[in-house]
Amino acid sequence: MKIAGTHEIQAPREVVYQALTDPQILQRCIPGCESLEKTADNTYVATMKAGVGSVKGTFKGNVRLEDMQAPIHYRMIVDGKGAPGFVKGTGIFNLEERNGGTAIAYEGEMKVGGVIAGVGQRMIEAAAKMLAAHFFKTLDDEIGRGDSWRPASTPP
Amino acid sequence: MIPAQFDYVRANTIDEALSLLAQNEDAKLLAGGHSLLPAMKLRLAMPSLLVDIGRIKDLAYIREENGRIVIGAATTHYQIESSELLKTICPLLPQCAGHIGDMQVRNKGTIGGSVAHADPAGDWPAAVIALNAEMIIASKNGERSVKADDFFVDLMTTALEAGEILREIRINRSTGRTGQSYVKMHHPASGFAVVGVAANLALNGAGKCQGASIGITGVAARAYRPAGVESALNGATLNDGTIASAATHASDGIDVNGDLFASADYRKHLAEVYTRRAISAAMESAR
Repeated sequence: MKIAGTHEIQAPREVVYQALTDPQILQRCIPGCESLEKTADNTYVATMKAGVGSVKGTFKGNVRLEDMQAPIHYRMIVDGKGAPGFVKGTGIFNLEERNGGTAIAYEGEMKVGGVIAGVGQRMIEAAAKMLAAHFFKTLDDEIGRGDSWRPASTPP
Repeated sequence: MIPAQFDYVRANTIDEALSLLAQNEDAKLLAGGHSLLPAMKLRLAMPSLLVDIGRIKDLAYIREENGRIVIGAATTHYQIESSELLKTICPLLPQCAGHIGDMQVRNKGTIGGSVAHADPAGDWPAAVIALNAEMIIASKNGERSVKADDFFVDLMTTALEAGEILREIRINRSTGRTGQSYVKMHHPASGFAVVGVAANLALNGAGKCQGASIGITGVAARAYRPAGVESALNGATLNDGTIASAATHASDGIDVNGDLFASADYRKHLAEVYTRRAISAAMESAR
């Protein structure tokens, strides 16, 4: 399954890139992510309780950031397993300066298997889109809250 | 196919069910059980407590009150399908009920359970949107009412908060000449709607549309109202041409879902075709 889109944030590209590669911010943005622990440079072990409606599952997996070209590009590799099935995916993030803010173009390719793929097939795409929307909404809030990067002259 | 361990309590009243929900945040309400139990057997859902509200007597009823149709949340699909009252005053509901699953599902499954579950391909969400229904929600703090349009928030996500119970669905009885219809493309294996369209039209004697209300399910993450179709129909004299041209707006501005069975483009196409059919059938049924 493929998922792609663009999300615009009113913040400088450096700030957005920094946030998108900061494990603490990522942990708060990834829906249901309970922990994200560093095991090596740019490599983390994650525990996620992901769910939509009454359907919930706990996933454990690895997250690796690769091909990092600050502040314009990186790749995220996710490999997770849980009782409902497994998820393997690659996400590419490209950041572009646009309208005084930053446009994040993302492109992901995911493989989902196990029970969740068998019975939830018709909902996986919608669920992935919903989780992505949740991720970017939280990222907006996270970046909006930290205002150290705002120029002093910005009117309140 | 064996669920994880859970406790089961049969509630006798809504108040009792509300108390049980308040005590355990991991509790789930059980009504007909035809969505929740399969998910539990696959261990996709593992609530620690099931609060059975399916047997609360005063939660299953169909009545007409002060020009309104009121339906208890635990009313089964079959009770709606076979209701002589509804066949006369709101035929869209029995028609929609007849399209759900199979006889076993319709005998056990409930309208409240279905809308609260908010499956993106469930049939009821399209019907309650087209009928401009009001959802009456009970909680410890009393009751509140949410319009069907605002009830479906996202994939399997509704306006219901934790600790709340959907108690009743209210629909204003239409006056004047109305035509209603629900048409659906059934998924061949699951019976769910690949696309389902509910149409509810108010017409004058000359066949001019004075109000159109449409609900579409199966196409996006949640059921929705195609505003473009409705505004194209309002005030129009309905014929094949005006209906076909209105139906082209069926998925305007909608993020259409794709899956192994039907790609997003195919679903978009089906949405237009079934919207056209629903409006035509509603017009023909107008009395």
